[in-house]
Amino acid sequence: MPFCLLDVDKDIPEREQHIYIKDSKEPKGHCKQRCNTNTIPGSMTERGCAFAGVKGVITGAIKDVLHVVHSPVGCTSYGNGTTKRYPTRPEMPDGSVFPVENFNLKHIVGTDLTESDVVFGGMKKLKTTIREAAKEYPFVNAIYVYATCTTGLIGDDLDAVCKEMQAELGKDVVAFNAPGFAGPTQSKGHHVGNYTIFEKLVGTKEPPKTTDYDINLIGEYNIDGDYWVLEKYFDDMGINVLSKFTGDATHGELCWMHKAKLSLVRCQRSATYVAKLIEEKYGVPYLKVDFFGPEYCAENLRAVGKYFGKEIEAEAVIKKEMEKIQPELDFYKSKLQGKKIWISAGGPKSWHLSKPIEQYLGMDVVALSGLFEHEDGYEKMQERAKDGTIIIDDPNTLEMEEVVEKYQPEIVLGGIKEKYFFHKLGVPSVMIHSYENGPYIGFEGFVNMARDIYTAIYNPAWKLMEFEDEEPGDSNE
Amino acid sequence: MSELNVIKKERTAVINPIVTCQPLGAMYAVSGIERGMPLVHGSQGCSTFVRYGFARHFREPADIAVTSLHEDAAVFGGRKNLISGLGNLAARFKPDVMGVVTTCSSEIIGDDVAGFIKTAKVEIAKKMGEEAASKIKIVQINTPSFVEHQFKGYDNAIKAIVDTLAEPKDEENGKLNIIPGIVNPGDIREIKHMLSLMGVEGILLTDTSDPFDSPLRPSKADKNPYYQKGGTPLADIQDCANSLGTISLANYASSAPASLEKKYNMPSKVSEAPIGIQNTDSFIRTVKKFTGNDVTDEILDERGIVIDAMADVASRYLFGRKVAIYGDPSITVGMARFVAELGMIPKVVCTGVKNEYFVNDLKKVAKESDEDIDALFGQDLRALDVYLKENPVDLMIGSSDGRLMAKDLGIPLYRVGYPVYDRVGYQRRPIIGYNGALNLVDGITNTILDKYYETQDWKLQQ
Repeated sequence: MPFCLLDVDKDIPEREQHIYIKDSKEPKGHCKQRCNTNTIPGSMTERGCAFAGVKGVITGAIKDVLHVVHSPVGCTSYGNGTTKRYPTRPEMPDGSVFPVENFNLKHIVGTDLTESDVVFGGMKKLKTTIREAAKEYPFVNAIYVYATCTTGLIGDDLDAVCKEMQAELGKDVVAFNAPGFAGPTQSKGHHVGNYTIFEKLVGTKEPPKTTDYDINLIGEYNIDGDYWVLEKYFDDMGINVLSKFTGDATHGELCWMHKAKLSLVRCQRSATYVAKLIEEKYGVPYLKVDFFGPEYCAENLRAVGKYFGKEIEAEAVIKKEMEKIQPELDFYKSKLQGKKIWISAGGPKSWHLSKPIEQYLGMDVVALSGLFEHEDGYEKMQERAKDGTIIIDDPNTLEMEEVVEKYQPEIVLGGIKEKYFFHKLGVPSVMIHSYENGPYIGFEGFVNMARDIYTAIYNPAWKLMEFEDEEPGDSNE
Repeated sequence: MSELNVIKKERTAVINPIVTCQPLGAMYAVSGIERGMPLVHGSQGCSTFVRYGFARHFREPADIAVTSLHEDAAVFGGRKNLISGLGNLAARFKPDVMGVVTTCSSEIIGDDVAGFIKTAKVEIAKKMGEEAASKIKIVQINTPSFVEHQFKGYDNAIKAIVDTLAEPKDEENGKLNIIPGIVNPGDIREIKHMLSLMGVEGILLTDTSDPFDSPLRPSKADKNPYYQKGGTPLADIQDCANSLGTISLANYASSAPASLEKKYNMPSKVSEAPIGIQNTDSFIRTVKKFTGNDVTDEILDERGIVIDAMADVASRYLFGRKVAIYGDPSITVGMARFVAELGMIPKVVCTGVKNEYFVNDLKKVAKESDEDIDALFGQDLRALDVYLKENPVDLMIGSSDGRLMAKDLGIPLYRVGYPVYDRVGYQRRPIIGYNGALNLVDGITNTILDKYYETQDWKLQQ
């Protein structure tokens, strides 16, 4: 039985079903790892809420939209810049220039709900706030409005308010109904975001121009400039990114996603939903793609090249990029060979990265975990793991401690909340959610990640952790 | 003598807030108890956003548990979540204190938190045995997020901690209770340093210095479960009923001193943060008054070193330069007074809260200042942005949240307060007390040098 009850979980035995130890003798699909279920109360969970899922991941990366959070001041302040680094350029698809660079990182609006609003309802205040926001930033192309726990519980009708304000302001005002308590994780917010964008936006506008090589790049949020790396490859292949969902995207791009020839789904946890919906309604097919690590990157550029009859261009990009990075890859492999690693990503990076890290860096993946992954993700993690690897759904800090003790990873890829905790246990950690010195996608991105792993492991501090009583060399050997 | 001009907020919306919600303040307060665990009774975002923020600012882990409320709790209430949450946390972490922090959702649902805690205590006793269970204290902290902000949450938490845990005895302990406010580890260490120079033993309510700036010594770390070093021991908190007096260094944290004064007939003083010379002088005088201990030469020498630094640089580099200050109400008032002491002009002070202490304290500063002070109360960074476009200043002082605005306005930013995530070490270096003032003199002056003298660096030859 590949499930595992950790010692620290004896008081919460239901955790056993969430922790799986790879055993290739086990018939495939025999053990279904539990996931995407509510976290056990009283845990130190790394998970976020549905509001974080929609604003923090999906919509926060768009460059020309103003966000109005219908909440007490807390959610608004937490929604401001507290998520990943999503830089944006001011250039718009029609050739114009948006007046503010990184507008999405600079401004957030909230309704600042107080006790009387909770008692009497906050819809009037929401209208006033949207009006004021539109006046304050007249150049934005749309306003997105978010429900939170408070507004979900008091029952404000965001859709009605947004409909009215859209008519009044003459620009799209869109409600995202993902109050914090909805669903077990932030994943619910991704889902709501996808459906909302599809239902309310896709198909409502036409692009300024189209080509025969137009794609939607879906689930690419431009963390630390990830999108710009991929854009370069597509440019070199003569493929045009018509719409991004949503890194460095514009509101308009979401509205004309139906016009692409093909959708590529990068983050398959947060964004497959919208690709499916677009395929069903508009017949735009989609490919699930993976650009983490040189091999997946090459494989998927080839697939895209094949689709558009641009195989030669794809090969040229792959050759050029591989030539650039190979010497560096060889160096990092020589330094990282055999080091034990635990990849603890939020969604799919745990299965994206395990093979490339083994193949190109020679590292030994001993543990994998996800915060809000679903069954399909764990299936892939299990498939790609070697025997004995521990795979954990929604690990909490006590479990992390035990896994560090038992599996002795020499580095953990995780988020900022866990990073300093691992440091205290004497294990270096690199941020894989928002990156340290990214981008981490594509050929050069993988090298950036390898460099960050290398510098974390070889940080001289780890050798200096303990005070030595004897002067080194004095103990006569 | 100059005036305080209060500029009214003209919007309903909050744009780029400089405050956040009550639970954050409460989580911060509970984190300052040795083996103290905040348990947030709300959605996961309520704990995760705060843990994220703390990790980013302090570069330390922040252990905060959550009851993970979802749709079913929204309909049926959070009873099950809170009771099992307390039980799981108690059994797995064996903390000394669990602080139950409510949120928007648990307050709106109307959970009977006190009742649930009672039931949880019975269950914990069943599970762990009476003796082990009785060692784990549970503090109920009501922090509806739609009321006020993190400063109120901090105040509520400290009061709840004191009210629940303090145990009066017949004898005084000769110690002084200090409520530091939402400040950095460096500031708390500076408070302890000043007290030690005065020969005074303090009880910090609560002491977040070590928990948020903990040594990396894996072989010595408290493991299984891991706890950050330090924090105020439960025994000290229990003993706070027997102290000589209570000083709150944050004008928003006045409930606990009032409660202690009323219950145990203990003197108390609530003031703005001891930032700069006069505010620190006043703090030292209060310590002297409450304890009867003398002001030592060591402490006066530390004071003298700051005055020396001010005499050296203020008139040449700082005098007459206009400053915009934003953030924590208590810290901004202290900063305003100190920049005025440096001969600078606190042109505008902006805070996200409406707080009567703040207005009164700032009026006092305005009277001492040579030019009027514009005050933005209960406002946000957008209001300050609009103000600064019309009324440019030479320097901004505040959190990292103003960094992009400062860059766009071309005004140098000296980072103070919470959160600071784009520079390192600010959480370690005090701004409180004489040593804090020294750090500020150096930091502010160097920021001015970087911006205004870089182009003419020959001016800095002597």
